[in-house]
Amino acid sequence: MVVTTALPAPVTRRPRTVLVGAMFASGAAMMVYFGLLGIYAHRRAEASFSGQGWFPEGTVELGPPGFIFWTLVLSVFTVQWAVQAIKNGDRTNAMWAMAITALFGAAVFNQLWFIINDIGYALADGEAEFFFFVVNGTFIVFLILAVVFLALTMLRALFGSYGPRQSDGIAAAAMFWNTVVAMWSITWYVIYITK
Amino acid sequence: MTMTESQPASAVADNPPAAPSAAHGLYDWISTTDHKRIGRIWILVSMVLLVAFTVLGTFVGLERAEPATSGFFGGQNSYFQMWTLYRLGMVLLVVMPLFIGLATLVVPMQVGSTNIAFPRAALVAVWSFLLGAGITIVSVLVGGGWGALDGVTGDEADAIALTLVGTGMVIGALLIAAICIATTVVSLRTPGMNLMRVPLFAWSMLVASAVWLLTLPVAIANLILIYVDLRGGPLTFGDPEASGAIYAQIAWLVEQPQIYAFAIPVLGVIGSVVPAYAKTRQADHALMVVMVGVFGFAAIGGWSQPFFFDSTEDVVFVGFGLLAVVPVLGVLGGSLLTLFRGEKPTDRPPAHLHGALAAAVLLFGAVASGALRVIAPFDLAGTSAITGIFNLVVFSAVAAALTGVWFWSPKISGGLVAAEDGRIALLTLLTGATLLGAADVVAGFYAAPDLLLFETGSDVVDPLLIASAAGGFMIAGGMVYALGGFLVSFRSTNPEAGADPWDGHSLEWSISSPPPVANFVEPPARVVSESPLLDSSEPDTDGEDA
Repeated sequence: MVVTTALPAPVTRRPRTVLVGAMFASGAAMMVYFGLLGIYAHRRAEASFSGQGWFPEGTVELGPPGFIFWTLVLSVFTVQWAVQAIKNGDRTNAMWAMAITALFGAAVFNQLWFIINDIGYALADGEAEFFFFVVNGTFIVFLILAVVFLALTMLRALFGSYGPRQSDGIAAAAMFWNTVVAMWSITWYVIYITK
Repeated sequence: MTMTESQPASAVADNPPAAPSAAHGLYDWISTTDHKRIGRIWILVSMVLLVAFTVLGTFVGLERAEPATSGFFGGQNSYFQMWTLYRLGMVLLVVMPLFIGLATLVVPMQVGSTNIAFPRAALVAVWSFLLGAGITIVSVLVGGGWGALDGVTGDEADAIALTLVGTGMVIGALLIAAICIATTVVSLRTPGMNLMRVPLFAWSMLVASAVWLLTLPVAIANLILIYVDLRGGPLTFGDPEASGAIYAQIAWLVEQPQIYAFAIPVLGVIGSVVPAYAKTRQADHALMVVMVGVFGFAAIGGWSQPFFFDSTEDVVFVGFGLLAVVPVLGVLGGSLLTLFRGEKPTDRPPAHLHGALAAAVLLFGAVASGALRVIAPFDLAGTSAITGIFNLVVFSAVAAALTGVWFWSPKISGGLVAAEDGRIALLTLLTGATLLGAADVVAGFYAAPDLLLFETGSDVVDPLLIASAAGGFMIAGGMVYALGGFLVSFRSTNPEAGADPWDGHSLEWSISSPPPVANFVEPPARVVSESPLLDSSEPDTDGEDA
């Protein structure tokens, strides 16, 4: 007589394809942005060295960019809350966390739009002004991409695509979000603090 | 009583990419998610562009050699546009898409996957590339390009802006494709295949993709700055006084060290072809893996643009130029050792071995010339040696890509491409590229300038430029011949190709030619070395996991 006993399925290694792809995409996005910031910092250093100066005194304020930074710091916690919630199978909390993160994104957009409109420069005013608009404008594009990525992930989560065994999509959106936060952290220091 | 315990299949099948379905007809070609079809589109398009750009290169060379009598382009500015189109086009529209096509088609099979990662993104990449390439070429033909020697006027600014958009689209598409390939190698490998066991071509594509993802976004940053400047900025780049400033800002893409980034897969192709011919394992595979990685490091060049870098005597620039020689020598040495250790077939070597040797010779010539170029006393900065190095690297990459097409033709078209066609095309390419590249490098020692459009009156430089133009002419002829052979083979597949006509060692040779829709009918057996087909019956002795 032959008795066959079924063993439990083996623990499989999940390829984490979405997460790996998001890592590469985030790295590429970061290189675009840091390429711009590097050129900005280099041109500013050259201008300072030659005695030309950069921004007119008192035109670049520290307050609103600081609000953006701290808003984004808060969003790091909320986006990780979403990742942890989905890993725990708590879809409701994950949805709340992603919604709040997207709201923080909208707030950042609002604050940055205020800065750009309030600064009183025109694109063609000079090299400093030109670089200021290009760097901040590019950041806005990446911020919008991150919010769209998060919104699409939310939609998929709403229809049950993610759960404790499959949380890579939300983790990938969180990774891209954190990349955007890193972009602003450096921008805040390079453009607004050190002026 | 006999009791056996059976383990069921995995409850979660490792979240594999969706296996493509069989498809036919034009709509299915446009919407396919089969990596093999997407790869074929990349290869076909880039081979057509290869022929077009080698013909363009021939005219540029003739114009340069005889500017007084040829007059193909009708003026300095038009010549400059075509000269820049040739340089950037050969890299962005020919070499990169050729390797991406080959990798899209072969790499998933090499790592034991049913499809490429993100197949829909891979499809978007190929069509975006086509759109971007079309915009780029058309905008150059209507007066755009990457700057103007006599300053940018209002009308030209619009056409140039369009060229920048097209270039950005092309780079973006290539980056998306690179993400798909890199992700496939990183996360879709079959069990047992750790990174040291990945076939050298797949590994070289991972390294190349990583370098492209690190550096080409910096070129996008440059394009954004130039575009915004042209559309209302303070005219930092479009200033009529700053002639050629736009091209100067992105020229780092096609110069040392970045130009080597487009030749990283050359090492992988050589490392795949030689062991198969020698019917033995690659000698010092681990060292080869490291050498490919070192070459990738030596090819990172986003920092060498005018904003960050103003002296070719910079120690980093010199170091990178010298470092690039080491890994190329290492891989060539390892390949020669493999040939020496392996069997010595008495038959005439196949076309792809000729191609691998041609690519190796050209790449070695390129890095050796590059090493001379960074040595300050030779004073080669701004000379035609830069053009020579560019052509040697680019045609080394073209030779390697065509070698790959011949080698993996059973997986591409289901049949073998005629060996004689391959030999003629690849040996013509070797001869022509050597003439083209070496003549410019030697002319550089006689201070022939890089962008040249006047009679030098030199008894040495003028004949060298004519020799260089003759090399370009030979290459164009060889490429037309190669494309013809490839298309004929595509239409009439040879049913006798079989699964493994070359006694290859990696997993793609375990499946039929042409491969079935989802590549593997049965999941591949656990991989225990870098040559799974040589040891598929051996147990995993080291217990290493993927």
